[in-house]
Amino acid sequence: MRRLLVFVSLVLATLLLAAYPDKPITFIIQAAPGGASDMVSRTITAIAQEILKVPINCTNITGAAGAIAMKRLQTSKPDGYTMGYVPVELSMVKALGYADFGPEDFDLLMRIMVIPAALTVRADSPWKTAQEFIEYVKTRPGTVTVGNSGPGSIWHIAALSLEKAAGIKLVHVPFDGAAPAVAALLGGHITAVTVSPTEVKAGVESGQLRILAVMSDERTPLFPDVPTMKELGYDVSIAAWGGLALPKGVDPEVYKILADAFKKAYDSETFQKFLLDRGMTPAYLDGQKFKEFAVAQYNMFMELIPKALGK
Amino acid sequence: MQQFVQGFLQAIDPRAIIYLLVGTFSGLIIGTLPGLTATMAVAIITPLTFWLSPNEGLAMLIGVWNSAIFSGGISAILINTPGTPASIASTFDGFALTKKGMAGLALGINVVFSCVGGILGIVALIAVGFPLAKFALSFGPAEYFTLAIFGLSTMVAVSGKSILKGMIAGFLGFSIALIGLDPIFGSERFTFGRMELLGGISFIPVMIGLFGIGEVLSQIFTKSRTMSADARITTQLKRVVPTFKEVKDLTPVALLSSLIGIVIGVIPGAGADIAGLVAWDQSRRIAKRPEEYGKGSLEGLAASTTANNACLGGALTTMMALGLPGDAVTAILIGAFIIYGVQPGPIMFRDHANFVYMVITLMLLANVVFLAVGFFFSKILTKFLSLPQSFIWATIIILSLVGSYAINNSAFDLMIVFLSGVLGFIFRLLDVPLGPIVLALILGPMAEANMRRALILSGGSFTTFFTRPISLVLLILSAVSLLTSVLRKRKS
Repeated sequence: MRRLLVFVSLVLATLLLAAYPDKPITFIIQAAPGGASDMVSRTITAIAQEILKVPINCTNITGAAGAIAMKRLQTSKPDGYTMGYVPVELSMVKALGYADFGPEDFDLLMRIMVIPAALTVRADSPWKTAQEFIEYVKTRPGTVTVGNSGPGSIWHIAALSLEKAAGIKLVHVPFDGAAPAVAALLGGHITAVTVSPTEVKAGVESGQLRILAVMSDERTPLFPDVPTMKELGYDVSIAAWGGLALPKGVDPEVYKILADAFKKAYDSETFQKFLLDRGMTPAYLDGQKFKEFAVAQYNMFMELIPKALGK
Repeated sequence: MQQFVQGFLQAIDPRAIIYLLVGTFSGLIIGTLPGLTATMAVAIITPLTFWLSPNEGLAMLIGVWNSAIFSGGISAILINTPGTPASIASTFDGFALTKKGMAGLALGINVVFSCVGGILGIVALIAVGFPLAKFALSFGPAEYFTLAIFGLSTMVAVSGKSILKGMIAGFLGFSIALIGLDPIFGSERFTFGRMELLGGISFIPVMIGLFGIGEVLSQIFTKSRTMSADARITTQLKRVVPTFKEVKDLTPVALLSSLIGIVIGVIPGAGADIAGLVAWDQSRRIAKRPEEYGKGSLEGLAASTTANNACLGGALTTMMALGLPGDAVTAILIGAFIIYGVQPGPIMFRDHANFVYMVITLMLLANVVFLAVGFFFSKILTKFLSLPQSFIWATIIILSLVGSYAINNSAFDLMIVFLSGVLGFIFRLLDVPLGPIVLALILGPMAEANMRRALILSGGSFTTFFTRPISLVLLILSAVSLLTSVLRKRKS
């Protein structure tokens, strides 16, 4: 009798595992509804739930640069029924002092996209190239104002890295998000911004703004004519990125089911079109490579941020 | 012309109209429920619209947006809890009218003047969109700071009987606003090492607690003491539709409020909540019976309901003419436009003129639709007030808790809503006004961050606030507004 029970429960257990997923999956988004992270998450999960045949429920948890949501994800049960979106802040929050975890505390599923930083000025300004701008700043250290999306944000770090690589001194003006910084640039209240090309696209296309350079290793598909800082001889590479993660310790079979389903969703025409429309560079990396990448970023920010913010 | 016809036809396509209706109904419900905001509704529906054609998808989004801002006023009027932050100022006179047994008329005013404001906002977009958007760009940190100061000058007016108590409440609001990350240095302030406090205290749970839970607690308390029949039980619906004369009398106030709403809507980062508050205070200057403001004035209610819907046209102007978000909802709409292959910005008017006309037509239609549906919906909701008091209390408490939790799925916010509820109750007992707390919470962070930004740009010199023309004008207006409010208080 006892043997039979053990046998039955074993069979049941296998069946249950084989049936994964058999109930809705909770998907934690670390940002408010409407932003880039939210839109990426909601679009890819909408496609993936068709593939997995279970609903994926998105939950927005904001605050502390996403640290609260990521903490919730990290401490969730690693049963494959809780997953979430992780942005570049995954590698930054520890250096910023907001949380005590890094990329190695998660089972990373895949990287989805990157958005480079870009140096943008007004179209009626005298600088046609990044070199001209940098030379100008060199003659007037500590007077040229550069807007970013908030203290300790990735675009703030971008401006700080540029300062370091070019040997210049800028005045950093943190705004509450990238859009207000771009508005201040359009209104002539600041001299430049170091936010993403997506955020300045409308201004550039209408001839009011000019992108001088992007800070990624490769050019952005959004503006293929704009050179990278590396091409110009400045060693800066700062980009925001985003990917998917699970709490650490998920069963390898469950992991594989999710990885395959989300890879399929990522490859779908709808999702690829969505990324390009929104000005994000599709940048798939599988879980292992994503982890190596995120850890390298983590090490870079651990060195860069404390120096930059004086923390 | 051909572009116009094309856009117009896309907007009045029967399928688009059906989606507009679906959007309007969802917006009515979401807006009425405290805590569920227009922003949240639009954000959640946006990914679903990718599977629709542009005119259908946008019809739904625009329907939700317009009707949610309008219907936030319904809960402000009926249960003294703003359905969305845009309706904070509608609680001042709206709920006072309900207590007088005039809930029906208050709801009717809300419907009519939300629609008037909404349509005037769009008219402004059509007539002077580009100059308005240019004007918005002249707002730098110094101007944002002085705009916040101008808004804060309302504080005396919302202080009730005692200016001192108002200032104490305001000070408390500013103190709460300080919690979180420093806007310029990013260092932690008053977080006591708690991760939940890094982002600061969320505004909406505080608002729902102070107004909703606080109101319920104080009603329970006063009822158990006096045992007298509450005025609200005797509420008769009476008429909902305002008379022609009433509408005519309220028109001057509505026109000024629309103007205020449009201008504040155009300025990126200043939204319908601020517009409602500023219009409520400033419209008093031209009101026929200014002494009734805050005690159930139809003019005061018309001012706030007009201004918050007029704000939408302003925000849309900034978004379409500059490609910048005019408020939180337009930030999401930009994403939706891009998905449909249209980049908002000046070139949109050249390359996708038919799209522009379609959006404008849909905005106008949305206002007409909620005008029609709104009366009906409001009429049903007033029935709610004839329920036994205990049911009403329980419903408000449940909705307040669910709504606050929904914002961020955070149990911490439930604690905030509860604490602010108790605070709201104590303040009602002590006759301390709630308006100043809310005002300080909304405008305090805006004032602080922008003053410090302006000082970074000016190299630390305060003269920047006086030498920039718009900034100087706003400072003078603030001084006048403050002085007249104080004098008015003295007199009464």
